[in-house]
Amino acid sequence: MPASSPDEPSGRDAAFAREALPWMDDVYRFALSLTRDPSDADDVVQETYLRAYRSWHTYTPGSDCRRWLFTICRNAFLRSVERDRPTVGLEDVERDVIGAGEVYAAALEEGYTDLYARADIGPAIERAVRELPEPFRATLVLVDVEDQSYESAAEILGVPIGTIRSRLFRGRRLVQERLLAHARDLGVVGDRGPEARETP
Amino acid sequence: MSGSKIPPLPPECLEVLKHVWDYLDDQLTDETTERLRAHIAECQGCFQYKSFQENFLEAVSTLRLRPGASPELREKVLGTLRTEGFAR
Ligand SMILES: [Zn+2]
Repeated sequence: MPASSPDEPSGRDAAFAREALPWMDDVYRFALSLTRDPSDADDVVQETYLRAYRSWHTYTPGSDCRRWLFTICRNAFLRSVERDRPTVGLEDVERDVIGAGEVYAAALEEGYTDLYARADIGPAIERAVRELPEPFRATLVLVDVEDQSYESAAEILGVPIGTIRSRLFRGRRLVQERLLAHARDLGVVGDRGPEARETP
Repeated sequence: MSGSKIPPLPPECLEVLKHVWDYLDDQLTDETTERLRAHIAECQGCFQYKSFQENFLEAVSTLRLRPGASPELREKVLGTLRTEGFAR
């Protein structure tokens, strides 16, 4: 069978089916992280693929199609959302990393050091991430769930890399604080007692 | 630092505390990465803190296993694309 040219409609569709369609699960998860509502996420995914198909000629074959789709998805979502975002200053970043250290210090003191290694932590993490405010949620989902580099996330969200770092760290800190609160609520106690104090 | 649960730390440990995520995300220069790696290897407290943060990132990454697009959504997307001439 002769290979069809990418300019012919059939070749174009084959390329789209091969490179773009396999990422629908990833696009859906990202869309859901943005909308937090499954049926809104469906709409954003539809819109994303429609836009992607119409502008397929702008995609560079062989480049990172998932990143390209995430960018379109973000734009499709932004259409209906307010744009002013809280900013995170540099001094806040320091507070966030120290805050995460404080979560650890409390976990040590209270015997929760295996908190994140527990098999049943999944639903609590899912909830904590879902409840994260924007812009922290989209950033954390892109980097920590969808395994995008800081550079990719910066391109997808249209912000500088430093902003990705500060948003990501805020998101991680907030999720960790939620998980510690969750452990306290459940009275989950890890396998180490309060005597284990080895704060770095 | 009032109210902090974190005791005063030696400078090496403070550097790990402040940069553990940069370290795990591979965002530091080779020199700094090496310095942190060497300290973490010999400091039990920092090793445990790094492991705690590693476990966190690992746990968050498992959200990738959540269900993605439903079969119904897949069909809807393909249906929409076909109205645009998509022929697969
Ligand atoms: Zn140390």
